[in-house]
Amino acid sequence: MTNPAHDSSTTPGLEGDFPERDEGFAARAGATALDFLRAGLELYSVFVRTLYYVFRGKREKGALVQQMYEMGNRSVFFVSITMGFIGMILVYQSGLQLRRVIPDFTMLGATYLELLVRDLGPSIASLILATRVGAGIAAEIGSMVVTEQVDALRMCAADPIDFLVAPRFLASLIMTLMLVVWASTVAFFAGAVTAHVFYDLSFRTFFSTQLLDAGDVITGLTKCVAYGAAIPIVSGYCGLSTFGGSEGVGWATTRAVVNSSLAIIILNFFISGAAFLIF
Amino acid sequence: MAAATASAREPPPPPRQTRLDALAEHVGESFLFIAATAGGMGVLLGRLVKRLFPPRVDKTELWRNLYKMSVKSLPIVVVTALFTGAIMVIQAAPIVKRYGAEGYLGWGAGFGTLREIAPLLTALMISGRVGANNTAELGTMVVTEQVDALRALAIDPLSFLILPRLISITVTLFMMTLYADILALIGAALTGQGLLTVSPRSFYNGLVSGLLGFGDVANGLFKSFVFGLVIALSSCHFGLATTGGAPGVGRSVTATVVASAAGVFIIDYLLSFILG
Repeated sequence: MTNPAHDSSTTPGLEGDFPERDEGFAARAGATALDFLRAGLELYSVFVRTLYYVFRGKREKGALVQQMYEMGNRSVFFVSITMGFIGMILVYQSGLQLRRVIPDFTMLGATYLELLVRDLGPSIASLILATRVGAGIAAEIGSMVVTEQVDALRMCAADPIDFLVAPRFLASLIMTLMLVVWASTVAFFAGAVTAHVFYDLSFRTFFSTQLLDAGDVITGLTKCVAYGAAIPIVSGYCGLSTFGGSEGVGWATTRAVVNSSLAIIILNFFISGAAFLIF
Repeated sequence: MAAATASAREPPPPPRQTRLDALAEHVGESFLFIAATAGGMGVLLGRLVKRLFPPRVDKTELWRNLYKMSVKSLPIVVVTALFTGAIMVIQAAPIVKRYGAEGYLGWGAGFGTLREIAPLLTALMISGRVGANNTAELGTMVVTEQVDALRALAIDPLSFLILPRLISITVTLFMMTLYADILALIGAALTGQGLLTVSPRSFYNGLVSGLLGFGDVANGLFKSFVFGLVIALSSCHFGLATTGGAPGVGRSVTATVVASAAGVFIIDYLLSFILG
């Protein structure tokens, strides 16, 4: 089992002001590929260990509740504002798009609800959450690494994954699901108001579930679980592989945000594709 | 009556912190924080604009930042854009199949991508990669007193450090949105062929058949310019306002990505109405 905190030289995506060595293209491509492979293996190791400790580790009740409060309650305002605006923009833009072809808005609400449940709600809300939650996790764990608190944990024979990553993993799984449901509701109502104000669509016509089926709900919930698991694992890995003082904490936070967002987009591609082929 | 006068003569009890007070304090504190952030960004923008006439920019710093922010962000933008285009088509696929409107696929996926999704997602990624990195760098300089050292040497930190970064982030996001537009359409066309057997040619015809104009592309690009300005201002503001060592840098970076994301979505909403 490799330990990400000690293997900082293999972290991809870091660049300082060091002059680049003059190497051939093949050498650089190979080094990049190897870096990615090592990072993938370490990420996998963090994931497996987190799963192990979630089921077998010591339970700290307070930690889980505290993380849930930190991730969930403190994100509600931010997520509600952004998803409310997103809902208004989406309905306004699709109304503009629809008006150029068929000036019939009766199906707008039903189509919007289907898209929201299947993709837009989970994906956009999780992208927003990834910035706040991912950055928070990486900044916190990264600060612990550079102030040698994580090394102190290891000295006490406690795996930092058990104490730091596992409660965040559980909390993120639960709170992502809840926040996504809440954020989608906000976005839907914001969209309904927009449709009513700009396109004279009555709420009764907009609130229509005729296009929604079980497949859409299952796809949406699968995405929630996948994103909720991906954000803490990726950010925790980035936080644990921090090195080099306050500059390193900043870099770790940056990488956590970018890599969590990328993970969400790539997971979205695969889950959406699979859902389209299955349902 | 007597009891009432008696109680009126007693000194007033010390104010007790109720739940309502705590809530009011919390709301007021958040409001003051938002106001201070917006005000700080406004003042920063004013000072930077003053240094643009005549332009007082450090050229080497500008080129170094442009390289570091634009060229080094390309891989992320390429991956994001290709996948985004593909996802747009996958989401449009059931609707296209339901109505048998294969000819409209290019327009359906292209409209949303060019006007909304490509600028928005590129802004989110660049805010994470470039904006957060910039805050980390500036924050580190502030906590290690390098910015004070610049001032001590009579070098203006705003025109030496901040203005090149502001210009670089704005230019970066604009150019990356151009790339993302093209790559997302390529990703969409490829997925359309793989998933719905719509040939790239008919995808392209659906895109340019008159429903989608230059105005839609320009709309997205103009938005990306404003997003770049918002991201640059918030990242520089929080970077310069860093206090308190390594944890402080982490907090600044978190605040930057949150403020950038909220700012981008709110500005996007306002611009959609003004330009729509």
